[in-house]
Amino acid sequence: MGAYLIKRLGVSLLTALVASMLVFMLMRLVPGDVVAQMMGQAGGEQAAGTMRQFFGLDQPAYLQYASWLGRVVQGDLGNSWTRGLPVTMLIWQAFLVTLEVALLTLFVATVIGVPLGILAGIFENRWIDNVVQGFNVLGLSAPVFWVGLMLLVGISSLFAWSPPLRYVAPSRSLADNLSILALPVASLALLQVAAYSQFVRQNVVSALHQEYVRTAVAKGVPVRTIFFKHILRNVLIPIITFMGLILIQILGGVVIIESLFALPGLGRLLLTAIETRDYPVVQGALLVVVAAAMVVNLVVDLAYRLIDPRVRVS
Amino acid sequence: MSAVSHPAQPKRTAAVGRMLRREPGLFIGSLLLGAIVLVALFPSVFSSASPFTVDTAASTQGPSAAHWFGTDDVGRDLFARVVHGTRITLSICAGSLLISAFVGGALGLLSGFFGGWGDQALGRLIDVLLSFPPIILGVIITGVLGPATGNLILALSVVYIPVFFRIARAGALGEKEKTYVEAARSTGLTEWAVLSRHVTRNVMPLILTQYMILFPLILQIQAGLGFLGLGVQPPTPDWGSILEQGKDYILFAPWMSVFPGLAVLLTSLALILVGRGLQRRIDQR
Amino acid sequence: MFYRPMLHRGKAMRATLAAASALAFVYAAPAFGKDVGLYGPVAENPVMGGRLNMGLLVEPPGLDPFHQAADARIRVTVLMYQGLFYESPEGRAEPLLAESYEVSDDGLTYTIKLRQGVVFHTGKEMTAEDVAYSYNYIRDPKNGSPGAGDFATVKSVEVVDPSTVRFSLSVPNAALPMALGNKYGAVVPAGTFDDENARNLMNVQSFGTGPFKLVEFTPNSHIVLDKNEDYWDKGMPYLDGIDFAILPNSASMLVALQNQRIDLVALARPQDVKQVEGVAGLSIERWPSLGQASIDLGAETKPLDDVRVRQAISLAVDKKQIMQASVGDYGTVLGTVPAGLQEHWGLALDKVPMQGPNIEKAKALLAEAGHPDGFTLKLTTINGYDWMDPAAVTLRQQLGAIGITLDIQKVDLGVWINSFRSSQMGFTFNDWATQPDPNLLFYRHFHRKPDGADFRNWANDEASALLDSGRAEADPAKRREIYDKFQTILADTAPTIMLFSPDHITVRGEKVQNYVQHPTGWYYGLARTYLSE
Repeated sequence: MGAYLIKRLGVSLLTALVASMLVFMLMRLVPGDVVAQMMGQAGGEQAAGTMRQFFGLDQPAYLQYASWLGRVVQGDLGNSWTRGLPVTMLIWQAFLVTLEVALLTLFVATVIGVPLGILAGIFENRWIDNVVQGFNVLGLSAPVFWVGLMLLVGISSLFAWSPPLRYVAPSRSLADNLSILALPVASLALLQVAAYSQFVRQNVVSALHQEYVRTAVAKGVPVRTIFFKHILRNVLIPIITFMGLILIQILGGVVIIESLFALPGLGRLLLTAIETRDYPVVQGALLVVVAAAMVVNLVVDLAYRLIDPRVRVS
Repeated sequence: MSAVSHPAQPKRTAAVGRMLRREPGLFIGSLLLGAIVLVALFPSVFSSASPFTVDTAASTQGPSAAHWFGTDDVGRDLFARVVHGTRITLSICAGSLLISAFVGGALGLLSGFFGGWGDQALGRLIDVLLSFPPIILGVIITGVLGPATGNLILALSVVYIPVFFRIARAGALGEKEKTYVEAARSTGLTEWAVLSRHVTRNVMPLILTQYMILFPLILQIQAGLGFLGLGVQPPTPDWGSILEQGKDYILFAPWMSVFPGLAVLLTSLALILVGRGLQRRIDQR
Repeated sequence: MFYRPMLHRGKAMRATLAAASALAFVYAAPAFGKDVGLYGPVAENPVMGGRLNMGLLVEPPGLDPFHQAADARIRVTVLMYQGLFYESPEGRAEPLLAESYEVSDDGLTYTIKLRQGVVFHTGKEMTAEDVAYSYNYIRDPKNGSPGAGDFATVKSVEVVDPSTVRFSLSVPNAALPMALGNKYGAVVPAGTFDDENARNLMNVQSFGTGPFKLVEFTPNSHIVLDKNEDYWDKGMPYLDGIDFAILPNSASMLVALQNQRIDLVALARPQDVKQVEGVAGLSIERWPSLGQASIDLGAETKPLDDVRVRQAISLAVDKKQIMQASVGDYGTVLGTVPAGLQEHWGLALDKVPMQGPNIEKAKALLAEAGHPDGFTLKLTTINGYDWMDPAAVTLRQQLGAIGITLDIQKVDLGVWINSFRSSQMGFTFNDWATQPDPNLLFYRHFHRKPDGADFRNWANDEASALLDSGRAEADPAKRREIYDKFQTILADTAPTIMLFSPDHITVRGEKVQNYVQHPTGWYYGLARTYLSE
């Protein structure tokens, strides 16, 4: 297990390195940098030159990358070029928001999606299955941001209510925090509930069709025993794997939702940083997103192994 | 399309009826998709109005007999824009997905069939792409390169290359040990011939199914990027861009957001239903 | 010559709006009779205290007045930082941190007496040394300020005594006091930038002398300002503080307004107003602007190098229709200056040459220039400037009438600014604002290189000579005559086509009192705003 972990980590580090290099090159390939935006239409060439020098933009790209990497190794992601604040601090604040949204969505998706999926699977092709499947297809088809927009406007015109504007950490006030996150989580969760229940249903159905389950049914083993002993165990592994997949999907999908609901999360940080060509923030934020996706994958793998020892550590 | 209205074709109607009973999803999905494809192919048949004609005097009018979906902020007919946007939106998605299927599929086949260090290196590179959540990858590419149809297609095609790569690679790995491949080899066919004649043919259905499964997902990403202003150049009436223009009028002219959103929803719905039905049929075989 | 401050004497200037009265919105009640102070009209019986929730659609990229040119930055930093003068809505430079000033007869020396008892947010008292430091810092291009160009005529800034500074110029510049306003730079404590980290610190705390202090700036979320208890103008500001909430799209902003999460907002796109019209408890007000939406025609791009082609385009353009498409009726069609400058500095609208739409004449000019069948031209628009999208499709239709096919190309701001500043702008929409002075409006943009930047490669000698004499002339009447001549040439040869000034639109809740929107779009008025109840 130890050797496996080390190998996995090594591969992840390499992947992160290549990813950061790709992003670095991409950002520098295109015209228009942070200085152009700071100078606006007014700035003179000499002043612009000073600022380029200040940010190290006058250096060749590979040197810029090397010095960035050198500092990253020491745990320093630098300062934001526009906000002046340390990138680590900006990312940490934003990451907490995004993480909360993602976990809440995952929670809602699991609590609603898994029972729905199991129900639909057990009653395959009965009316309850048809209803669940119909809901799933709709949920999977509706664009997340569109659902968010409709929710925002619908709730506002029906109940004259909209979420408070300034994000409050759950530690400061849970009620405020949840009332801010309710709509964004609801819009993200619709898709994920559908995806989750669809996935669980399929697994339940295929478990039910297994030979040994049929035999057990024929033998008159109580339904409850069959459910807990055979089906649930068979479905648990896919459920956990899928949890990881969903978490990564939410990390991505959150970009648009954060912009719509003005949440100061990682996606919005990344988007504004790309717009203002704030390279240290873009690179730092991407590094965190990529790392988070890797951690999720690793955790899923490990959980997989814990539940099912038959999976070899390879 | 009941048996009564087509008494001359009892066999076919019966077949349709059977399909409707067994696979209502596939049936409805196919009908819907067929209609959408028709709209994409012949937009002018469905809407005689131009999607570009500006009429500031008729801006932000609600749905009416003259303008079924209402008009937008500069008075363009929204029905015409959604109808004409069908082809643009669908061809951007289909095209980018075709590129990723081709590039990812070909690389995956080669990688799985020949193995070796090339397989290793490609695998790592694909891991790098996989480590970005799909939308984020699209946001980086279009955000950095700027909004333009070419950049959008580039971004969208990169997103799902890894998926096709993995599918094709796994398929090739599985096929290459099979007896028929051994047999082909023993008749003196070159590796390339085996790959192109036999393995590819057997991996193809996997790729096609994946293509159908990913289509609604790429449509959602495309619309999402358009909504963030990272879509195509105006005045192209792509659905994502119509949504982006509409969102700022949501309180005043909700139809600007509702109808293009419904277009995305219905198309996704049709694609999902058809994709699922196809997959079930392949699985049954 | 000796100028006295004109504080608390002039009458409030009101919007001269050419708006149709049929529009359903509440006009700002004219404040005639009220005393006009710095930053806005003095309230008669202000309620002291309370915090105001203000919405921001565009987030300031940073709060450093020395190194950030973004207008979103200036709107907020004018509340925390101050220059020597205040750009009054009427286009006069009123002493702010200055108390009075004297100009030598040759116009080359400005001796400025400083206001006493001014204390920085850091607790230190302001002296002449701080003033000299601040202006010497900003005018040195080596320090990287986008505003350095505005001070190009300044030879030196010296301390005369602790309450007096002297600006020496290389050529007379009647617009100097306006340049010493609040757009770029500010008076900060001497030595502020000796600390390498100072420009970063400006996003954490404020170093200025303004009526509000920075408490907190959380990117993508909010900015919190508190009242400066030691502000030199006693009795100001009325509010205890301002909480800016940053909402990146107008859909969420309007929903928040409707549900009273926001007390006051300046809407970026005047047509958003339609969506909150008639909502109980919200008042909508419109104000004239110094901003302009325009078309730029870079002569480096063929066939725009031919003046007849530029004239043809100018004649084919229907400014009113483009404005209608972009902002509805919430704007003013322009001649050759932004709406806020028209009354004092603009060429009379009926005297502006080459105004359309006149398709016949435009076609004739195109044919004369060798393009009887028209040509294809790339129109650049900027990502994030909402008005440009509807304007582009409208212009596409208008130019189509004379055979010009427009190929619309939307680019990111950074990319656009790079091509703009390297004078490679081609055919593009532009959106820019000015301080209320014709020299600051025209000189840099239109004077030949190297004195000006001549972004549009206009290279017009006659116009440049007029700009030089306009800058040196101190007598307002003669100055106006010079600029009238300049504007005639500008419109006739069309390096730019000024389309319209979008009105500033503010929406406020019932309890928000006495907010006046400054024509620059900057939030000066918040220093005079109070909350009833």
